[in-house]
Amino acid sequence: MQEMNSALGAGTPDGSVAPGARRGALRSTATLAQDYLVLVMIAVLVLITAAVEPKFLLRANLVNIMRQFGPLIMVSMGMTFVIIGGFIDLSVAGTINLVAVVTISLIQPLGQVPALLIGLAIGAVCGLLNAVVILSSGALTQAEALFLTFGMSTVFSAFALLYSHGSTMHFWDIEASKSVFEGIGGGNLGPLSVSFVMFLSCLVVLWIFQEKTVEGRYIRLTGGNKTAARLAGVNVSRAIVLIYTLCGFMTGVGAIVLFSRITTAAPVIGAGYETNAILAVVVGGTTLLGGKGSVVRTVMGVLLVILMSNCLDLLNVSTYLQVAVKGAILVLAIWLDNRKRV
Amino acid sequence: MEAAGADVILSIRDVCKTFPGVRALDGVSVDVKRGTVHGIVGENGAGKSTLMKILSGVYEKDSGTVHFDGQRIERTTPHQSMQSGLAIIYQELNLVNTMSVGENVFLGRFREMGGMRGTHARAREILDSIGCKVSTGRLVSELSVSEKQMVEIAKALSFQSKLIIMDEPSSSLTGEELVELAKIIQQLKEQGISIIYISHKLAEIFEFCDVVSVMRDGRIIDTKPKTAFTRNELIAKMVGRTIENEYPPRPQCVGAPLMEVRRINTRKLHDISFTLHRGEILGLVGLVGAGRTEIVRALFGADKVRGHEVLIDGKPVAIRTPQDAKAAGLGFIPEDRKLQGLVLPFSVEANISMASFKKFSRLGFIRKSIERAIAARQVKALKVKTPSARVPVRNLSGGNQQKCIVGRWLEISPRIFIMDEPTRGIDVGAKYEIYVLMKEIAERGGAIILISSELPEVLNMANRVLTIFEGRITGELLPEKASADEIMTSALGMGRGAA
Repeated sequence: MQEMNSALGAGTPDGSVAPGARRGALRSTATLAQDYLVLVMIAVLVLITAAVEPKFLLRANLVNIMRQFGPLIMVSMGMTFVIIGGFIDLSVAGTINLVAVVTISLIQPLGQVPALLIGLAIGAVCGLLNAVVILSSGALTQAEALFLTFGMSTVFSAFALLYSHGSTMHFWDIEASKSVFEGIGGGNLGPLSVSFVMFLSCLVVLWIFQEKTVEGRYIRLTGGNKTAARLAGVNVSRAIVLIYTLCGFMTGVGAIVLFSRITTAAPVIGAGYETNAILAVVVGGTTLLGGKGSVVRTVMGVLLVILMSNCLDLLNVSTYLQVAVKGAILVLAIWLDNRKRV
Repeated sequence: MEAAGADVILSIRDVCKTFPGVRALDGVSVDVKRGTVHGIVGENGAGKSTLMKILSGVYEKDSGTVHFDGQRIERTTPHQSMQSGLAIIYQELNLVNTMSVGENVFLGRFREMGGMRGTHARAREILDSIGCKVSTGRLVSELSVSEKQMVEIAKALSFQSKLIIMDEPSSSLTGEELVELAKIIQQLKEQGISIIYISHKLAEIFEFCDVVSVMRDGRIIDTKPKTAFTRNELIAKMVGRTIENEYPPRPQCVGAPLMEVRRINTRKLHDISFTLHRGEILGLVGLVGAGRTEIVRALFGADKVRGHEVLIDGKPVAIRTPQDAKAAGLGFIPEDRKLQGLVLPFSVEANISMASFKKFSRLGFIRKSIERAIAARQVKALKVKTPSARVPVRNLSGGNQQKCIVGRWLEISPRIFIMDEPTRGIDVGAKYEIYVLMKEIAERGGAIILISSELPEVLNMANRVLTIFEGRITGELLPEKASADEIMTSALGMGRGAA
């Protein structure tokens, strides 16, 4: 807890503690309140569900939660950087579709390791294409990026459909060795699942990238004020390329974790991931305004989103209503974010 | 209740306002008489804006009373205060750029005006009454700053305002436009409208105002008829100490040519060529929109401009992006501090270190201790007033914010420093400090290109002046020899021809 808070404090370049500052004290209280808010919401959710439905605490259910966590956290961590950079990426659903169907189809002809590497590369290239489209069209606002990446998502999905002829591929159809993917999908390393270890490693690397590197700072400055950053000699275009490529790559990782877990890849499996990832990032407390936020916050956001689905499932709430609840929470998170800014 | 007579439109008594950690207003009392222009001067952070925001209803006062037009005002909203006849025209004008002039004047009141035709007709009448010829059908985005200001004034008049507060109205106006503003203020006065005129520019205060109040540290230090103040007395009251001079002596160290610029041509600029020397402060003078900013933006690689040549130390350099410019030894203070210079929510530290990553990183990793040292060094060297280098730069006053940008560049010691309106909206004390910095840069062999709409600033600081009119260099003058009139004549394109 202590450690988590200090990590969050470092998540803003101005630091959260500014003794004697005019609004510093107020601001850090607001930030702190939001951090606790997410944690409190998580705790409340867990307690209520555990009380109403004891099945929640069964090992099988907890494992299930961890498994759902895997793909979304990867995508959301990538998305965090896009949002810190002041942009947004709606193309992750299309990227997941494309990476999943291409990767699974290549296991048989090329072997599993080349398939894995190509899958990751496709993710990164999809992200890069987003950046190229955005930069070449001169789109410098979040709204423009929203529409452009939405367009790109349909393009990626269309390619996924064309490539797979709309059909679903299953692991059991593949004769070649697919141990790597089976490991990612269901293997364990000691007490932890492989996908959880992957998550932890990505989290550490990305956190260091976010906090300690020059490029990480460039991304923050770009999100904080593109014009000022550019006029101070920051390569804003490179930061934009970086955030989208990183997001594409992480989405590729997420796609692989996803189809490895469900052992099938259909050209539509990414549906909904863009809204869930944005929801998780914003609920975690990364502002859509850009400049501020942290992958650590996103972890909490994802946890909340996943727990919520799981609880609603266990409580037999209809899927339609679940979608409504999610939407309401996204609106609430953005509303709170805006209030905090005043 | 001594002076709440009928001739007083606004009476403020013992108003206090505290923000966490800061006493912004500490018992402010002042009366504004009907039909007068009442100037308020004071350094940034003196409490002028807070007071205005309380009057307009953006903030609520902690204690004290406000009477406006005989009515006691307790709580109000910006909309209510507008309705009651108190209008504020902010420095950053509040117009909808994508709508027409007429629509802006009567924004949200089209129906009461009898539809769009009525709106435009009424807007025309009001604009005519202040001698503004702008067509009501034009888009606000196409207007110059001074025309926009007139639209704001028309908007204020459309509410039958009795008191108009103008917050730094002249900060982006130049010569002629200022004369226009003076005329309008005179007309408003004749119509019996009172005006509160907030400005840093003492020349305007002396020209426009009848009565002047000086604010310092959240208090009104003195209120007197303008004629009872001398300029030096006013400055001394503002800063709380005597300032001998507004400008340090001009640096006298012009050396060999440092940078040569040849033939910048764009849609707006025509054949811009000039030479900048070591140790020189070169002033660019012209009306807003004449192309001064475009010239320096082209030089710094901020706009895509092709086909010109830049030579530094006789060697051609290709500057396509601000990074190239930085690498070539250029530094840039952009004209809009808040939008182009600073990342407002970020710390003072992050704003200062923004250009010197090379100094505090190794193998792409940030070395926090060195970054802190850099920020601390610049905060100390430039005397930036801040509780700590970790507070958001937004909390600082204008002058201190500007110092952060200067410090950002000083850290990498640029040889050519471009300063676009470096003292806009900052107070006398901080201005002087920035002038001293400019002098030091020049004396160390650096060169400065200075753009300023304040002619005295250029006259006192620059070694040489280029006048720009409609995208061309129309004259080259030495301010030590030329008079202000000669320079203005040349900047208005009426000179004898150019260098």
